[in-house]
Amino acid sequence: MTVLRRLLRSQQTGLVLIIVGLLVVLSLAAGSHVDPSTGRTVNNFLNSYTLIQTGTDASFIAIMAVGATVVIISGGIDLSVGSVYALASVVMGLALRDGAGGAGTVLLGLVLCVAIGVIAGAVNGAMVVGLDVHPFIITLGMMWILRGFAFVISKAESIPLPEVLTRFAKSSLGLGAALYPLPMLAMLVVSILGALYLGRTVMGRHVFAVGGNPQASRYSGLSLARIRIGVFVLAGATAGLAAFLGGSFYGAVSCGDATGYELYVIASAVVGGARLSGGRGSAINAMLGAVLIILIRQSIRTLHLDQNYEWIIIGCAIVVAVVLDQASARFAARRLAGAR
Amino acid sequence: MNGRRQALGRLAGTTFALAALLAAGCPKAPTSGAAPAPTQSGPSPAPPAAKAIKIAMIAKSSTNPVFLSARRGAETAAKDLSAKISAPIEIVWLTPPEEDGQIQAQRIAQAVNEGANAILISCSDAGKVTGAIDDAVARGVPVMTFDSDAPKSKRFAFYGVDDRRIGEQVMEELGKQLDGKGKIAILAGNQNAPNLRRRVDGIKAEAAKSKGIQIVGTFYHNETPQDAAAEVIRVNNAYPGIKGWAMAGGWALYTKTLLSDLDPAKIKLVAVDALPPSLPYVEKGLAPVLLAQSSYLWGNVGVTKIIDKIFFKKDVPEIIPMDPVRVTSDNLGSWARQLRQWGFPDVPEEYLKLK
Repeated sequence: MTVLRRLLRSQQTGLVLIIVGLLVVLSLAAGSHVDPSTGRTVNNFLNSYTLIQTGTDASFIAIMAVGATVVIISGGIDLSVGSVYALASVVMGLALRDGAGGAGTVLLGLVLCVAIGVIAGAVNGAMVVGLDVHPFIITLGMMWILRGFAFVISKAESIPLPEVLTRFAKSSLGLGAALYPLPMLAMLVVSILGALYLGRTVMGRHVFAVGGNPQASRYSGLSLARIRIGVFVLAGATAGLAAFLGGSFYGAVSCGDATGYELYVIASAVVGGARLSGGRGSAINAMLGAVLIILIRQSIRTLHLDQNYEWIIIGCAIVVAVVLDQASARFAARRLAGAR
Repeated sequence: MNGRRQALGRLAGTTFALAALLAAGCPKAPTSGAAPAPTQSGPSPAPPAAKAIKIAMIAKSSTNPVFLSARRGAETAAKDLSAKISAPIEIVWLTPPEEDGQIQAQRIAQAVNEGANAILISCSDAGKVTGAIDDAVARGVPVMTFDSDAPKSKRFAFYGVDDRRIGEQVMEELGKQLDGKGKIAILAGNQNAPNLRRRVDGIKAEAAKSKGIQIVGTFYHNETPQDAAAEVIRVNNAYPGIKGWAMAGGWALYTKTLLSDLDPAKIKLVAVDALPPSLPYVEKGLAPVLLAQSSYLWGNVGVTKIIDKIFFKKDVPEIIPMDPVRVTSDNLGSWARQLRQWGFPDVPEEYLKLK
């Protein structure tokens, strides 16, 4: 009973149940086809290819959403993650495009992308703290600046990446041909690390404290500047990692990469229960939020709904989910106050 | 307790959202072609799955009218060929709302996962979709490209214009209009699109042959009619001596604003594409020549070649060139009627009556 109660109390339960429910509905309603290579009848949704593809599609957004959630918990927001992704991937492309390489090339690509992300995040954080301007404004400006840099240095060309990077990102890990689980595994690892950071480290608890009550945190002796810069650095690093995986997976990069992803990222965090005013959020929930959004997108096609309605459906789902979540929180707060 | 209530609240909220929006809120995607029923055995009545042919069509963007025309062409070919081969052909439209090579790659994988028999794609970013095309081919699904190719992929054929050549033709026509002399500007669309860059290269190469032609600049913009027209006006103000515009695409002519802002006696435009909104520019003499791509045929010929390949087992040439149609005041009427026949609803009535 205790385990069941703990599970029900868990922040993730609602999202997990919804995702599982959606998976069941899609599996039942998707129909089937005959696989031309094997001749076997295959469910259009419940097959390893579609499930891993859905996980892969979600992974790049989910990885960024973990970093963005940390920023949101601290009371900030980062609109520049899509542009950080583009700049990091373009820098990697320009640095590596003439190289053949092996494991060293993969490592160099990863280091370059994460380094660009860290630098961009540090600049974001330093400007937010140093200029005392709201993060919305700073990161809005940086969104354009960073994409502009990516545009200028790439001359707007699509840059092919060395084959070794694609081979790495598309490692089948023994699952079989055309099954590529690496981005999905990276998503799980980053989400778990994010959860450990937020829930099990002093630094993580400081982030909650700063977002929940900055004044009290200041009086408690916390360095708000250091913490705020740190969360933007984390967001930048996750954007850099997503850029490395996304660019490598698709085999080419351009300055237009991840355009508009910042909105998916923020939406994932918010659907995952992060409060935009700070003090609440979860790395695992952000990942689940990203998975849910991608699953809704996938369901539009799997169920053969008119995809012209995609933006309307996703927008409505986000608004309704968040509004009801907030209503639920207010209701709980009132009940708590009444009990006192 | 608080955590549980919030979790349950989120559960209720999201359930409500999904139930309301997915189940009731939006219509089914229109199935196309002559398919009496799709190959799915789930939500739709089960057809004889072995005979049905499902072709996934992935254009660059579902908001661009040329691709909607291509879709019509594909659906018409599917209908005609279904009767001919006595098997239903379904066109599954998987075009993203905005140009995004990454999303296209995802949709190629999705098409294969859901049992497409073939894929017809116009590539937003050849580099990004090449891997996905190769994966599809490796899993037994042939891929054909149209409009914008992925030449390094394992696609079996490409159908479209030679972009560099059409760029040269644009400049040849503009040079004739200007008697080989004057300042010109190039309207180039999205700097990211490789096919447009090749057109611009063609324009520049042809301009370089004429000593009297001076290019003041190449101007990029978002590929929307408003952005394109605004760019033309901005550049004209900045370079008052411009005598002509070589346009790699027809975006600016899908607005009416340049009809009143530009004087056909002082400036000439030559553009690729001739959709209904741009026909008044031909009539007024502001754009004496437009080089039209028969976008309807992208889909129509594409589906025909795919059926040739997978049903009739015919050899299909790797490159199938499309010749642009030269639209002038002499053939404005016939071109307008052609557009109407291809399903464009907004062809002005007065042009349909012309010879």
